[in-house]
Amino acid sequence: MEIDPILQKYPKSRDYLIEILHDIQNAHPQSYIPPEVVTRVAKHLNVKQAQVYGVIGYYSMLSAKPRGRYVIRVCASPICNLMGSSNLIDYLKEKLKVDIGQTTPDGLFTLETTECLGNCAAAPAMMINQEMYGSLTTGMVDILLEQYSKSHK
Amino acid sequence: MGKVSIYIDDREVMAEQGANLLHEARKNGINIPGLCYHPKLTPTGACRLCLVKVEGQRGMVASCTLAVKEGMHVTAFDQELEDTRRFLLDYLISEQNIDYDNTYPDELRELMFRYGLHLPQNRFFKPVKPHAEFKVDSSSPVLTYDPSKCIKCFRCIKACDEVQGKNVLSFYERGLASYIVAGMGVWGESECDGCGECIQLCPTGAIVEKPNRNIINLSKVERRVRTTCPYCGVGCQIELLVQNGRIVRSNGVEGVLPNDGRLCVKGRFGYEFVHSPERLTKPLIRKNDVFVEATWDEALSLIATKFGELIQKYGPDALAGYASAKCTNEDNYIFQKFVRTVFGTNNIDYCTRLCHASTVTAMLRSIGDGAGSNSIQDFETTDCLVVTGNNIIETHPVTATYVKRGAARGMKIIVIDPKWTPLVSYATLWLQPRLGTDVALLNGMVREIIANNWVDHDFIQNRIDGGMQSFLELKNLVDKYTPEHTESITGVSADKIKEAARIYATAKTAMVATGMGMSQQVTGTHNVFSLLNMILITGKIGKERCGIDPPRGQNNVQGATDVGCHPGMYPGYIPVSNDENRRRVAGVWNVPFDSLSAKPGLTTVEIMQAAYDGKIKGLYIMGENPMISDPNLNHTEEALKKLEFLVVQDIFHTETTRFAHVILPASAWAEKNGTFVNSDRRVLRVRKAIECPGEAREDWKIIHELAGRMGKPMPVYADESEIFDELAKVTPIMAGISHARIEEHGIQWPCPTPEHPGTSTLYIDRFNTPSGKARLYPVDHVDQTEHATPEYPFILNSGRILYHYHTGTMSRRNKPLTDFTNAHYVIMHPNDAVKNGIKPNTKVRITSARGSLDTYVRIADEVLEGELFMPWHFTEAQVNRLTRDELDPYSRIAPFKISAVRVEAID
Amino acid sequence: MLKEYRIALRNSGLINPESIEEFIAADGYQALRKALRSEPLGIYEEIYESGLRGRGGAGFSTGAKEKAAAVICSDCDKYVICNADEGEPGTFKDRVIMETDPHTLIEGMTIAAYSIGAHRGFIYIRGEYELSIRRLTLAIEQAYQHGFLGNNILGSGFNFDLEIRRGAGSYLCGEELTLIESVEGKRGYPRIKPPYPAEKGLWGSPTLINNVETLANFPQIILNGAKWYRSIGTENSPGTKIFTISGDVVNPGYYEYPMGITLRELIFDVAGGIKNNKPFGTALLGGAAGTFAAENQLDVQMSYDKLKEVGLTLGSGAVIVLDSTRNVNQTMLSILKFFKHESCGKCIPCRIGTTQLYETLANELKSPTFNPNKVYRELVWQAELMARTSLCPLGQSPVLPLKSLHDNLMALLTASNA
Repeated sequence: MEIDPILQKYPKSRDYLIEILHDIQNAHPQSYIPPEVVTRVAKHLNVKQAQVYGVIGYYSMLSAKPRGRYVIRVCASPICNLMGSSNLIDYLKEKLKVDIGQTTPDGLFTLETTECLGNCAAAPAMMINQEMYGSLTTGMVDILLEQYSKSHK
Repeated sequence: MGKVSIYIDDREVMAEQGANLLHEARKNGINIPGLCYHPKLTPTGACRLCLVKVEGQRGMVASCTLAVKEGMHVTAFDQELEDTRRFLLDYLISEQNIDYDNTYPDELRELMFRYGLHLPQNRFFKPVKPHAEFKVDSSSPVLTYDPSKCIKCFRCIKACDEVQGKNVLSFYERGLASYIVAGMGVWGESECDGCGECIQLCPTGAIVEKPNRNIINLSKVERRVRTTCPYCGVGCQIELLVQNGRIVRSNGVEGVLPNDGRLCVKGRFGYEFVHSPERLTKPLIRKNDVFVEATWDEALSLIATKFGELIQKYGPDALAGYASAKCTNEDNYIFQKFVRTVFGTNNIDYCTRLCHASTVTAMLRSIGDGAGSNSIQDFETTDCLVVTGNNIIETHPVTATYVKRGAARGMKIIVIDPKWTPLVSYATLWLQPRLGTDVALLNGMVREIIANNWVDHDFIQNRIDGGMQSFLELKNLVDKYTPEHTESITGVSADKIKEAARIYATAKTAMVATGMGMSQQVTGTHNVFSLLNMILITGKIGKERCGIDPPRGQNNVQGATDVGCHPGMYPGYIPVSNDENRRRVAGVWNVPFDSLSAKPGLTTVEIMQAAYDGKIKGLYIMGENPMISDPNLNHTEEALKKLEFLVVQDIFHTETTRFAHVILPASAWAEKNGTFVNSDRRVLRVRKAIECPGEAREDWKIIHELAGRMGKPMPVYADESEIFDELAKVTPIMAGISHARIEEHGIQWPCPTPEHPGTSTLYIDRFNTPSGKARLYPVDHVDQTEHATPEYPFILNSGRILYHYHTGTMSRRNKPLTDFTNAHYVIMHPNDAVKNGIKPNTKVRITSARGSLDTYVRIADEVLEGELFMPWHFTEAQVNRLTRDELDPYSRIAPFKISAVRVEAID
Repeated sequence: MLKEYRIALRNSGLINPESIEEFIAADGYQALRKALRSEPLGIYEEIYESGLRGRGGAGFSTGAKEKAAAVICSDCDKYVICNADEGEPGTFKDRVIMETDPHTLIEGMTIAAYSIGAHRGFIYIRGEYELSIRRLTLAIEQAYQHGFLGNNILGSGFNFDLEIRRGAGSYLCGEELTLIESVEGKRGYPRIKPPYPAEKGLWGSPTLINNVETLANFPQIILNGAKWYRSIGTENSPGTKIFTISGDVVNPGYYEYPMGITLRELIFDVAGGIKNNKPFGTALLGGAAGTFAAENQLDVQMSYDKLKEVGLTLGSGAVIVLDSTRNVNQTMLSILKFFKHESCGKCIPCRIGTTQLYETLANELKSPTFNPNKVYRELVWQAELMARTSLCPLGQSPVLPLKSLHDNLMALLTASNA
């Protein structure tokens, strides 16, 4: 992928690393940061590969493994859990026929869980890529999945 | 700071104010447990085992995170603290794989026994497992990482970052699932260069060396011998572990200079060559072009007879000796004494002539000593460092650790090099001049410094011969080197020239490290003169953390000259041509005054040229391999063939032994006692760890016996320390040094008396010139004598790489090193590759007016367009087939760095 | 009952958050104007006098932190960081401020920067808060255009640059020194404390780091004075607090009230009581790193000191309500799972303890002979040792919910698993 425009957006300083990684991942059709990009970013910021790779490995929003075009992150925090997120997760697993951390064969959706999304008044909540959704029911999930599938085509 | 009283468990102990409490407690024998702390690293506070209670503070505090304060009261041991530590250890064991195979020191295991937790019934917590499956990473040539034994103490990460300045390690994942990664999780594909600092600092069996892993058993290690590394001139102190008569491991020795435990990949993994089955174990005599094994008696009597005949027939000056930068001071001292007293000639030199001769020549003339003016630690603490023509990270990796640590604390680094070197990543500024334009560049900087009045007038007035007058001469000469004019010669932008001049001249303290890129040119001496001019007019010498330091290439290249392996000087840089000197030396050696030649001898390349011309008939080579290291090898080969008698004393067959009449099996560094002198003039002990293989003998003993057989016996020396004592008598700069004085710590010469502590910085009071003042040598840029031409359109540069060493005789006999790299190549600029239709790994023939070789192309923008670079270690592609033996008129050094060549793709 | 009183949420819902003009029309940036006309010393003294305490959870005196960063050196680099890494489960007050009134935060930060002499600031927002990031990015752009950021702000000669840094999914990065590591582009590991950020923070320089809600109080304190602020709330906890109420209540949401409102009022009057008319079970105050309150504690006043008196915590202002039919053991287990997931792994007690606690409870809950008294006693013992030995606040947290459950709600625990 073309990452030069992203690199040029920021000063050449290590403190922009996470910003750069976010932008790359958001722009990547598989929502991840590929190894050759790690090498490029490391060279650009004059740090060693492990300093980039290790940061990806620490932050749960960043991924060094290919994922789907849309990453579904269901809140599994104590509140959403209380308000029924585990049912939602089970529903998504069955509907998408994937386990947590897996991607649908068409490469469209990856199912993940996340800690508190700060949408507790509208629990249970989830994010699809950068969009937040709350007060979810299985019916709403159906509609959302359909919309995302459609918008992709 | 100073010592203050503190109270630990009601016991008064003296501790360093402000120092680390845990460290000070342990120094006082109070063994507070702890796994993440290491004295070389910043405290981490991860393991929490060193918790103590401090009066006036709430709860328990990790002592590794506390500073000593006068009068503080500390509880290090009570029931609650010990219970808490047992709780934490119990926790730790619940996530650990505690299998142990006795191949590495294990600090966790020691604590497990100390707290009785080796007994499962004493453990409270059930094992926990991370969700991730841990896999052992054994992809590195030199180590394995086993995450199941990793206690996540950060010591390896900090070893790599804070100690070595490399920072190639990180954790991956987090929490219980976290584990160490190099690069992107495959160690062997990462930037890890294999120095093994992480191994040395790992407290458990998580990171362990690969070599000998199946052999080593710590309970069967019979000896641990401290000695000095045999590779480059840093002089790292290493500890060799010997099991079953073989070296099975090499560790850095902590707490002593020059390296404080740090090593590079060669120092840690480069010892295998001593056990190579290819070692020479018997004397060999050439009979009808075949080497036949002989007894020592046969070999030595043949040599004595032959050399004797040659002296009779052609006179003493028809003989010559090549000493060795690899041998000890004691070996070299005996060797030069042999050449001078038994041969009766000053034809004694060695490979130093091929590396820093021009540097040494310029320094001797300008400031009076040919050695580095500072100490290795100054590379970390100076404010500015100019590194010119010196790939310091690869050629002096441990000196470079100081440089990188300096960079981390804000030291400004200016790299001057036509070729990219890894130091560029740490540098403030990189000037990339065209090959052979150094004088112009430095004159340009000097002009800029003068134009901005960044000069030190007091220094010029008081410490430079001719004071202002000399300065004005220099000013006149450099006047034409305006930044723009300099740019037109060097290709370095005027802005960068100005910036570099400003940074260097306005720094409070600044040092210069100069290497082969400067010295190995026809203008080598002039290059260093222009460098010294810049240093002198800014007064950046003769003060702490200011000076000029040529890092020396070989372990004892400094020492061999110090002890007299020089055609014009006796030990301690005493000219041979002076009667008084000769009389004094003859007195100590107990030989007739007139038996010592007053005529300075020939230098290395001159000896070879004289052999070619039929003037040198007999040559005794101790541990050198001119058939790789000399310039213009085709010529060298002819010269060697013309010799009537050639003796080569070495540990292996080399490209040179092929031409010998007698080959003598000598000892490797691990098989002998003695001393080396490193780049910061530190005299360091070398100790015997293992026996010589077969009938091989210590070098000095061979020479000593030969002297007797040639009718000029030397005194009986009971051991090497007695040789050193005699050496100290003739060498004023080492007069105060003895083996006994340097058992623990080396001493930096000059050290004139047994009470003298040695000298860490030279020229504080005076320069070592007759007037005590330094001299400026204004020099002009001259065009190189060899240019790119339509027939030879490229300029070829040559140099070293991290994993190999000089002619490869030693380094290429170590699997760990050859596993990293073992292939020759030439680096070409991408634009040149496109122009010439050359793809990566294309096999090419490189041809100069002298010869040709075949190698493979690596394409990288590390070199300028029109320039090429090749490492010279590989006998399969001998770069010196291409180089010239045209010499620098002052130092007789050859221009290894500049050869016009053409490149043709071949199938 | 105390009335709703909006300071941090003054403009929330009343102005278009994407319009700087509407913010200015609502007296926006007047406090900054006033501040820039006075001496920096006057600013941090005013904040100190107001008694404002950190709204992120720890409740330190904001003015004291500010003063420390202001006086440590005059000729050195300093930074202001806004901690917008709101990750405490049940907490979303900062998100509301950033989404509905981003300029108030910018104004507060600029005042803070001026008072300590910082010229560069960062807002560290958790990466999940996409809308907050968008709104703040736009607001910063507008503030630059209007001369409220950048060089020579409002002609005062004061320069201040402000940037956003996104977090990327780590609860621990809400801990101030860990957050600083993250701003530097590193893995989120806590640093050894001391030194505190005011002494050695970002890139080793003095750094003032404050929570969003804290900074959002600055403009009104500067405009109306410390005395005014002290007239709101309680003696030791002046001002208002945004409470985020979630779980089994009729009207979950965010509510800004003066400190001192009772828990009962918050749940039953403000949030409309328990959903479906079920009996009250417990309320978890302050999120995962908080404490469970029992029914007999409902009349406690919501302020730092009053809660502390009864062994409870205000924390971030989260109030998570569980009706009496909820399985509190499962909620506790999900809290422990949360800590296990968020432990960075740097220190032994937290790395291993969070897993040991989780696995112990998970296994015990499966046991037919589950004895909450015995199990929680052991969990509290472990968690207390963890708390005493851990490097940073995360390892010191699990003991809070565990101990409060053990001490206050044994009956509910026993009933839960029956």
